[in-house]
Amino acid sequence: METPKAHSVVLIIARYAFADVVRQKSMIVMFILCALFVFLLRQCYQGDYMVNGQMLRADAIAWTVSKVAFHVIAAGAMFIAALLTMRVFKRDRDEGMLSCIMARPIDRWQYVAGKILGIWALSVLFMFTLHGIVFAITSFSMKTPVPAYLVASLICSINLLFVILFVFLLSLLLPDIAAFLCAVGVGIAGLAANGIHSFGQSQMGQALVQQSADHAPSGFTWWGAVYYAWPNLFGTQLSAASLIGDGGGISAYPILNVLLYCLALGVLLSWRFRNEDIV
Amino acid sequence: MIELHAATKRYGSLTAVDQITLSVARGEYFALLGPNGAGKTTVVKMLLDFTRPTSGTLSVNGISSRDPACRTSVGYLAETPRIPPDLTGWQYLQRCAELSGMERAEAIEQSGKIVEQIGMTGREHTKVRTYSRGMIQRFGLGAALMGNPKLLILDEPTSGLDPIGIREIRLLLESLRPQGLTILLNSHLLSEVEKICDTAAIMNRGKLLVKDSISSIIKDGETLEDVFVRLVKG
Repeated sequence: METPKAHSVVLIIARYAFADVVRQKSMIVMFILCALFVFLLRQCYQGDYMVNGQMLRADAIAWTVSKVAFHVIAAGAMFIAALLTMRVFKRDRDEGMLSCIMARPIDRWQYVAGKILGIWALSVLFMFTLHGIVFAITSFSMKTPVPAYLVASLICSINLLFVILFVFLLSLLLPDIAAFLCAVGVGIAGLAANGIHSFGQSQMGQALVQQSADHAPSGFTWWGAVYYAWPNLFGTQLSAASLIGDGGGISAYPILNVLLYCLALGVLLSWRFRNEDIV
Repeated sequence: MIELHAATKRYGSLTAVDQITLSVARGEYFALLGPNGAGKTTVVKMLLDFTRPTSGTLSVNGISSRDPACRTSVGYLAETPRIPPDLTGWQYLQRCAELSGMERAEAIEQSGKIVEQIGMTGREHTKVRTYSRGMIQRFGLGAALMGNPKLLILDEPTSGLDPIGIREIRLLLESLRPQGLTILLNSHLLSEVEKICDTAAIMNRGKLLVKDSISSIIKDGETLEDVFVRLVKG
C-alpha cells in the first residue's frame, strides 16, 4: 500500500464530497427550481416600464434587473451553501466514510481541506451557473457581452467559502440546524450593520449623527464598529456588484475582511477537527 | 508490529483503558478479548488515532499512532461497518483503493480479487441499501483487505454473519497466514478465536488481565470460554 500524495488525497476527498452531494435528489431538484426561476427573469427584460410618465431605457432596465438578480443569486447561493454544508460531517460519520478515510494514512487536515474544497467547488458552480444564465440573458438583451458580471460572481465565491467554513466549524460544536441558523444569523446581522453604516454615511444619517454628537465620542459609532468588525458578506457582494454596469470602483475592505475571517475560521476548524474523536 | 506502553484513556471520571502495556509481533494472529465495555474498541481507536490516549504511547510498525504514516499498511474493519447506501459495493471498494494510493487499473484488478475473496461476486454492482448486514460486513472486510495491508485490525469481523459466513471468514483469515499478515482481532466468538489466533489478551474494566499464547492461557480440560469466564468474574 502506498502513501498517496497530500494534494492528491485532498482532491480525491473533494471529489467524493462533491459527488455525494450531487447524488442527492434534493440537490438536483433545488438546482432545477433555481435555474427555472432565473430563466423566467428574462420576461422582466422585455416589459415597458414608466417612471413619472417617462419610458425607461431598455439598457437601464437590463442593468437594474441583472443587478437585482445578481444579489438575489449571490445571497441564495450562500443560503444553499450553508444547507449543503451543515450535514456533511454528520453524514460521513453516519455512513462510515469518516472512519474509512481516517483509517488510511491520511492526515485530518487533508480530510477537512478536501471537504471544504468539494463543497466550495459545488457551491461556486451552482452560483456561477445561475449567474451565467443571467449573464447570457443580459448580454443578449443588451446585444453586448458583460464579462464583468462573471468576474463579480467569482468575487462572491469568497462569501461562499466563509459560509462553508463557518457552518463546518459550528457543525462540530452544535446541532446541524443550529449551525445553519447561526450562519443565516451572521448574514442577516451583517446586512443590517451594512445598511445602518450606509445610512450613517448618507446626508440624512450625517445630520442625525450631528444632532446627537454631544452624546457620542467624535467619529466613533457602534454601527461603524460592527460594520468593520463583523463578517462583511453584504459589503463583498456590493463591492463585486460595483463591477457591473457603470457602478463605482471596487472596495477592497469588505473582501479583505471576509478573507481574514476565512483564514481564521480555517485555522480554527483544522484545530478543532484535530481534537475530534472519530466514531 | 504493535506496541502499547502504559496506554490510558479516560473519559471524565471513567477510565476506559488503564495503563495497558502489550506488544504484538509481526505475523502474529492476536485476539483482544473482554466483556462489553472492557475497553477493547478504545484500544483499537487509540491505535488508529481515532481518539487520543490520555497518557502512554502506542505505535504501529515502530511509528507513533499520532503519525498518519503508521496506518500506511493497516486495514481496519469497524465493529459495525457502515457504507454509504447510495454507493454500490464495487464503488466503495474503488474509493478505498483510491484512498490507499492505487492507480485505476490496479484498483480494478484488486477489487475484482477481493469481491471473489469475500464471496460477493454478482452482488458488487448493486446499491449498498439493498445489502443485508452480513453483506455489508463482507464489503467492510473487503475494504480492510484493500491495498495488501501488513496489519489487519478487525473489530468483531463475524458480527451479523450466519454460521456459514463465520466459517468463510475464518477460512479467509487462515488463508492469509502465509502472507505474513499480523491480525488484531476483537471478538466475542471465543471458539472462533481459539481456532484462528496464536495469542490472546483478556481485558476487563480497562485493565489487562492476561496476555499469552492461547495454548498457555488454556489449562488442561478447559476451553478459552472457561478461562474467559474465570478471569472476568474474578
